Amino acid sequence: MAQDSVGLSSDYQFWIKKLSTWEQASNLETQQDTCRHLPQFQEFLKHMNKTLKEMDSKTIMKNFPTIGQLLAKACWNPFILAYDESQKILIWCLCCLITKEPLNSAESKLNFWTRGLLSHILSTFRLDMNEVGTFTQGLGYEPADYCPALLNNMVSSLVSELQENHLNGFNTQKRMTPGHIRSLSQVCVPLITLPDVGPLVEALLTYRGHEPQEMLCSEFFEAVNEAVLLKKISLPTPAIVCLWLQHLPSLEKAVLHLFENLISNEQNSLRRIECFVKDSLLPEAACHPAIFRMVDEMFRYTLLETDGAREIRAAIQVFTQYFLEALEKENKQLKFALRTFFPYASPSLVMMLLQHPKDTPQRLWHQSLKHMSELLREVVEGTAHRSYGGPFESWFLFVRFGRWSDMVAEQLVMSETEPPEALLWLLAFSYSPRDGSLQRAQTMVEVRALLGCLRKLLRSSSLLASEVLAAARECRDGDPRPADEENREGKPCQQLAHCLLLNFLLWAPGGHRIAREVITLMAQTDEITQEIIGLLEQTIYRWDQLCVEAPESRALVRELLAELCGQA
Amino acid sequence: MESLLRQLECFSELLAVSRSPHVRTWEPATVSRALQWARYLRHVHGRLSRHERVRLALRRLLKDGGARGAAMAPGLPDLQALGRGDLLLALRLLDNRALGPAACHRLLQELGPGGPDDPRDSLSARAALLARRRSAVRLLLGAVPAAPGGCVVRTQARLLLTRLQEARGAAHGLLHVLWGRCPRDSLLQVTACALGPPPREGHLHPDGPQAAPELARWLLDTPEVVEAFCRDLPAGLVTSAACSHPALARAYLRLLSQWGGQLLYDLPTGVWAAAADKHVSWQDLCGRFQSLCQAPPPLRDQAVATLQANKAQDGDFEVPGISVWTDLLLALGGAVR
Repeated sequence: MAQDSVGLSSDYQFWIKKLSTWEQASNLETQQDTCRHLPQFQEFLKHMNKTLKEMDSKTIMKNFPTIGQLLAKACWNPFILAYDESQKILIWCLCCLITKEPLNSAESKLNFWTRGLLSHILSTFRLDMNEVGTFTQGLGYEPADYCPALLNNMVSSLVSELQENHLNGFNTQKRMTPGHIRSLSQVCVPLITLPDVGPLVEALLTYRGHEPQEMLCSEFFEAVNEAVLLKKISLPTPAIVCLWLQHLPSLEKAVLHLFENLISNEQNSLRRIECFVKDSLLPEAACHPAIFRMVDEMFRYTLLETDGAREIRAAIQVFTQYFLEALEKENKQLKFALRTFFPYASPSLVMMLLQHPKDTPQRLWHQSLKHMSELLREVVEGTAHRSYGGPFESWFLFVRFGRWSDMVAEQLVMSETEPPEALLWLLAFSYSPRDGSLQRAQTMVEVRALLGCLRKLLRSSSLLASEVLAAARECRDGDPRPADEENREGKPCQQLAHCLLLNFLLWAPGGHRIAREVITLMAQTDEITQEIIGLLEQTIYRWDQLCVEAPESRALVRELLAELCGQA
Repeated sequence: MESLLRQLECFSELLAVSRSPHVRTWEPATVSRALQWARYLRHVHGRLSRHERVRLALRRLLKDGGARGAAMAPGLPDLQALGRGDLLLALRLLDNRALGPAACHRLLQELGPGGPDDPRDSLSARAALLARRRSAVRLLLGAVPAAPGGCVVRTQARLLLTRLQEARGAAHGLLHVLWGRCPRDSLLQVTACALGPPPREGHLHPDGPQAAPELARWLLDTPEVVEAFCRDLPAGLVTSAACSHPALARAYLRLLSQWGGQLLYDLPTGVWAAAADKHVSWQDLCGRFQSLCQAPPPLRDQAVATLQANKAQDGDFEVPGISVWTDLLLALGGAVR
């Protein structure tokens, strides 16, 4: 408590000084400084109110002899009064100063003075417009009647003035100067969360000036962005797009906010990831190529930094899916060429990936995947046009289209014939893009062997869990790589094996019966359990998207998920 | 209904008293009771606004008793104000220096945190919102001094119409009081705005259709006012008011014809000049007709017809310098064709 009051008194000195500085000059610089400090000052006021509430007026004056000065300065600062809840807390602080039964003239004076200050905040007509007062008082109205209407009218006339200015930039008589617009954006900083001012905030964001330089101040952008991210206000998407196009730090913050949401929850189901991504409005905003490229770049770095974290990979897939939907909705007449979104990718590959599997007959999926594999391989192995980027670029492009990339393992397991080379390559590539061609060839050999074993088991009349696991082990034992290398490189291969086994359990006739047992034996560590949960979720999510009808398999996946999540 | 009416009258009186020195005798309990009553009526108002028929009936009753309608004035400007009766009462008491310290202490307790109401709708929260909105107005006015672009006037026009709507029987009396008390220029501007076409947003003149004709009648019934209105306001404003009110258009054209007839042709300089200071100048007359000729029909056609009729009356000369109307028609050129 003692430490608390020391903190408060040093804060107190700081704010008295700040308020005096702001009071002495009201120019753009002090306004900016005020706006930057508003949240902190409100915290201080809250703290102050908590302390004052515990004291009577006499003790307050003894402990804080200059409290009147501090509160008065705050009450005369329209930025403070306009910000969030500051005016409310100020009123509460002032209420603490009133004495019920003043015993001497000093106390009466303080009462009188405090009431004057409250009147100043709440009810005097002092708006620098005398005629307003006379007229409305003559009508019998008071500020409580008048102020909301005046604010409403001011906002709507400023909005129409901005719109007219925008339409008729050369009509110099009506025109608001860039200086006006800038200072308007500055004074809107504390007002952003006031619903009456919403239309003005929107009009400022969507205003297109005729001057080349930036007109709105950065504090305005920051404050709007924060209010949008924290859901304190909601703006139409075009206004948010304008915000992010004009102020890249805000866009960066919005993407980081999404990442934080994705990472902060321990167990992120795909549905939750979907909600976060949709909620972020980023997919719709990304229909503008500049925003798309920026978001894309951030995803790319995060994926590299997190070594391909599952949440991030899933988020990219969900983002891409919603982005494509938004693009389709908005881009009926293709405002921007696809090349502007994917400048370093082979156009024919992009066209194939963009195709929704739902629009292709199921029997041709195999064919499409084979074709994609060939195109990717050309790039990765360096036989294609140079401008198409390297292996990582190609991998990044492929994995973002989850509806195709997550389908490869399933297609391989379901195929009754010898697995085609192209699909094996695609699977190995999507699990371990950094491998050299020798390593990849080895992975392909292992996968081929495992698939061979599984195909044999498919024909056996009574499938046993131990047989399935033994098949997986056998193929791993055939790996000629030395042990230390295996530790380093083995992880993707192990994940790959898990993925193939799960698909086998879901599709093989006897698979459902032994699925629980196999998974229990497989899930030896938390990490593997999480991996299996991720794979199962991904599967059901993809089936939903592609409208795959497999009621029994779906029911099994749901049961398994419920059990695994319950354990985790 | 009758008892509700009585309650309204009493509450209106209470609001009037809250501004008077009588509050000197108020105890803390009186303050609490008064605010409690205001809260109750606020609640009633909330329920009334959900029942259109009851609300309309109440309005009618309030207006039918002309005396009662006027009795609303000292306390409640209109029925809407009942929704914020507690805030109005609290602010009046706060401003009233006669309120004793103990009573004021209680008042501030009501304004402070932790009231019994729902926090978002509490008196304290609404007082804070009012303070926030007032600051918003100040900030916006400071940022773009020229920008209000008539929004102050528009707000006043809206309030004027609402008030006239409520006062109905007493409307003329109220307007006369305002004409005597307020700066005339601003009252004329507010009147023009209230009579003009409703703005695009539409909602700014909710009471316009009913109250505007009343306002126009007062204007036309008072020769001094209508003359000042047509002479002192900018041409565009008068034209736009005349567009919506045919009787005003006729009066305006009559006045313009009268003012035109007062101009004399000064041979040496070759211009039409006003014989007295209070007469309207040639430039002004020309500007007013130009504005009228740009208005949509039928006002435009009426203006052209007036010019032609006046010219015919003067002898239908085509030579400049003989009839002011011939010269006006020539000066307006393409606009009248």
